[in-house]
Amino acid sequence: MEFLNYLLIFASGYLLLRQPERERLAFGLLVTSGILTAALFLMGTRTSILPPFNY
Amino acid sequence: MKPSPLRTILVLAVLALLVGPIATAVFVLGFGLGDSPCVLCWAQRTAMVLVALTGLFVLRFGPRPKYLGFGVLVAAWGVFMGIRHSALHVGRDVGQGFSVEILGAHTYTWSALIFWVCLIAMGALLMALRDGEATRGLERPPAGLDRIAIWLFLLVVAANIVQAFASTGPPPFMGQSDPVRFSFNPKHWVWSLEEWSPAPVSLRGRWAIEKPDLSTLSSDPAGGPFSGLPALAVARQFRLALPVDGPITDLAYDAASDRFLLSTLNGLYLTDGSLSRVLRYTVVDPGFSVDLARFGAATFLDSQTVMAISENKSYVVLRENDRADAAANYRFFLEAPDRFDEVARSRLSTVRARMMYVLSLAYDPVSNSVFTVSVPNTRTHRLVVSRFDRRDMTLSAEFQPSLASGVTLRGKERSLDELYVSGAVFDRGRLLGVSAAHGTVIVIDLTSQTVVAAHTVAGLDRPAGMAIKGNDLYIVGEQGAVTVASASTITER
Repeated sequence: MEFLNYLLIFASGYLLLRQPERERLAFGLLVTSGILTAALFLMGTRTSILPPFNY
Repeated sequence: MKPSPLRTILVLAVLALLVGPIATAVFVLGFGLGDSPCVLCWAQRTAMVLVALTGLFVLRFGPRPKYLGFGVLVAAWGVFMGIRHSALHVGRDVGQGFSVEILGAHTYTWSALIFWVCLIAMGALLMALRDGEATRGLERPPAGLDRIAIWLFLLVVAANIVQAFASTGPPPFMGQSDPVRFSFNPKHWVWSLEEWSPAPVSLRGRWAIEKPDLSTLSSDPAGGPFSGLPALAVARQFRLALPVDGPITDLAYDAASDRFLLSTLNGLYLTDGSLSRVLRYTVVDPGFSVDLARFGAATFLDSQTVMAISENKSYVVLRENDRADAAANYRFFLEAPDRFDEVARSRLSTVRARMMYVLSLAYDPVSNSVFTVSVPNTRTHRLVVSRFDRRDMTLSAEFQPSLASGVTLRGKERSLDELYVSGAVFDRGRLLGVSAAHGTVIVIDLTSQTVVAAHTVAGLDRPAGMAIKGNDLYIVGEQGAVTVASASTITER
């Protein structure tokens, strides 16, 4: 999934450089990657979403 | 057109982020040293890449609000991720951590700092924006440093694509909790689906532990783990008629002064030897310092000094003083500040009994030690006896007792860990405990670390504390019911 995420980021950066008229798509890819990043982190920490501190 | 100073600062910040943590992570640590990120490290690194890309969007299309908002969101999430990940190892000993160090700190701990710096930089740059500039949109084709930053960005992301493919594989494979060393050789690639395995979802994980509650337990010995237990002869039963401020949590006795000590949630009461009159009392202020929560137990340390321990192993030591300064003691007591002085307030730390509450406390004057016994919870089922040297209140011994010969369980699936020791008393080298679950009194030999005897006691109702007076064993219930049983069988007097 991290591989897919970096493909999205690369595509976003490439559009930024080569096809700035497709800014909406580039930003959409950026936001999608952000959501995917958060989801992957939450998957890895779902057994204790908050930091394992002494609350 | 000459770029504004603000643009120059922004592009330098993006370059610093790319060349510093992100490129170092993939080229030096990854390709150079074979370091593979775990699933959490991947997310943290990716979020840094997203912050850098957001900066490039600003450079290319101007400081549009949606970019600024997104950048703040990602950086704030990054701070959280850094704290969450570092917290996994925060309680370990010095130098212990996960994977590699950079400048003396493990990689995942750096990320919280980096995202925090990103947030500060964003705030400073936003403050430097002129009114209306954020909404005007200042599109600008990349040139000079901007162009270098974008190309460097694509290079770094391409390298991450290579590492991500080798380390984590194509979807649905994803990063692992314990990744293997990075290699360009496909023979060493491990692609895993372990993170997709079902697992319970929880906010606080192993820290979500229920508080002790005697009302949920059955005092009926018939359901207990032991087989063939003898019963202690009950001499009498009565109900306390004392003006105490709530449920009773423990009982202790001092032979030298012929007085009992009763504890409630935050109150301590010294009574006469017949438990009929309160001679001295106070209610401790549990807050504004070490959190004393609810007292689970109390004991005499000598005839004038008492100690109360909270369920969370925080404790307070009080000494009687007829001339106590009420004004000075206002901060320590909710009631009767002129009857005691506070000597100490701190916490006991355990190892085997960690993550478990305690409801018992006993003092041994010979070894000058205090003892606690853990109570089980839904996550941890262990009967652990802990000894603390009174001189420094530091853990000095800890063990899980086993069974001595002659004491048997009902079956192989039964265990001492089913007991819920809610009161304890020390008696000549042995620790006596009363279990609120199954109404059982156990005798633990501290030398052999074994349970050498166990007895049932009829008619117990939520036993919360236990004391020995002469040949009598006093067991007090949470609601004030007192059972007096003959202790001669146990204490061999």
